[in-house]
Amino acid sequence: MRYAEFTPYDLVLLAQGLGVTVGLFLVTSLLGILIGVALAVTHYYRVFLVHHLFTAIFELLKNSPVLVQLFLVFFGIPAFFQINLTPVWAAVITLSLNTAAFSYVIFKSGIESVDREQIESARVFGHSRAQILRLVIGPQAAAFSIGPLVGLLVNQLQVTSLISVIGVFDLTKIGAILNLRTLQPFIVWTVIGVLYYLCAKALTLIGNRIERRLRASVAWVGF
Amino acid sequence: MNRLWSTLEPHIPFLLEGFYLTIAACLCAIVGSIVIGAAVASMKTARSPIPRAVAAVYTEIFRNVPFVVQLFFFFYGLPEIGIYIGAFQTGVIALSIAGGAFVADTIRAGILSIDKGIIEAAQAFGHGRWSIFTRIMLPIALRVSVRPMGSVLVNLVLTSSILSTITVNELTGNAKIVAAQTFKPFEIYAALLVLYASLTFTVAHVVSRVHRRLNRYLEAGAL
Repeated sequence: MRYAEFTPYDLVLLAQGLGVTVGLFLVTSLLGILIGVALAVTHYYRVFLVHHLFTAIFELLKNSPVLVQLFLVFFGIPAFFQINLTPVWAAVITLSLNTAAFSYVIFKSGIESVDREQIESARVFGHSRAQILRLVIGPQAAAFSIGPLVGLLVNQLQVTSLISVIGVFDLTKIGAILNLRTLQPFIVWTVIGVLYYLCAKALTLIGNRIERRLRASVAWVGF
Repeated sequence: MNRLWSTLEPHIPFLLEGFYLTIAACLCAIVGSIVIGAAVASMKTARSPIPRAVAAVYTEIFRNVPFVVQLFFFFYGLPEIGIYIGAFQTGVIALSIAGGAFVADTIRAGILSIDKGIIEAAQAFGHGRWSIFTRIMLPIALRVSVRPMGSVLVNLVLTSSILSTITVNELTGNAKIVAAQTFKPFEIYAALLVLYASLTFTVAHVVSRVHRRLNRYLEAGAL
């Protein structure tokens, strides 16, 4: 017996896929942003060689397809280092590093966007380098980089669809399964597309709200 | 190292075949996306609201839905409505449409950056609306938007690796086959990262050359 029609259970499948996509997106974005911030801070402190090394690695990551990076991590690393790697772990590693590569640049330019005079006057007031980073540079850099960051995250949400290729059961994989079973590509892929679209829109809305709030504390409001 | 070379060496012509297919797909898609992008940009800046709305919906959808989903939509959907074309053609069409959405926004920005005085001068010389658009606005807009378009095109080259998921045997697809045959996935995908990076660096280099050539009149001391 072959189930060629849509069944109510398909909705559960879709919800599962959506959960996996959103969950992996949140985890990898958080990890990527943390790594990006950490490296931007090492750049601020001019730690010897660290940021040069990572700039070179990230340049390679930014200039190669995520699909190939996924294959490298999922097929390459287990074969080369003789370890086991589940598809989810491979996806987390690849996507986090990829987000880190792009967000590092954003945070770095966010830190550099703060006027030198502000830093100098903070130093005159006797603030330490860490205090300057936390009190003067941090809030302004955050307000500066939130806009590009939201754009990046919307992009990264779409990049998560690639992990279906290495066998993670995300929204796209569920779409492929439903498509092969029902043979109704227009309905299936439209539904999947709409779900991704709604996620991206929700992300943009949240990002805009955060941006407004962050900018409110930085923008000059006058006397 | 030597042993690695002797395992990989017989597969190099096969990989090169894929490399050429990648380049062919990218070139077609670049041309296609610039043509679509210019058309959509002209719709976005049109006076009447209907083409503006159509163009807005187009860019919204194709920027916010993952490329894999779009590709599957076309790949499985087109035969359903009686259009039988090969996977390569489907891939190029999907790439052009997706790239066109991004290119459209860069060209639109270029059109909006044109000084009003230039248009008024053209009107004073008796140019009609069509001739102003094709002979004056479009050349200036394309010239201004070459650089932002470059990063879109670099992204397009990287995205072309996704065509391997719909059985187009371009570079990534062939590398997958070689990795399965030799069981040296790490080495092959690492080499692939470098190959793609060289491809994107080439694109970026060409774009900046074109940018310099087109904007040579704007350089200091040119007049």
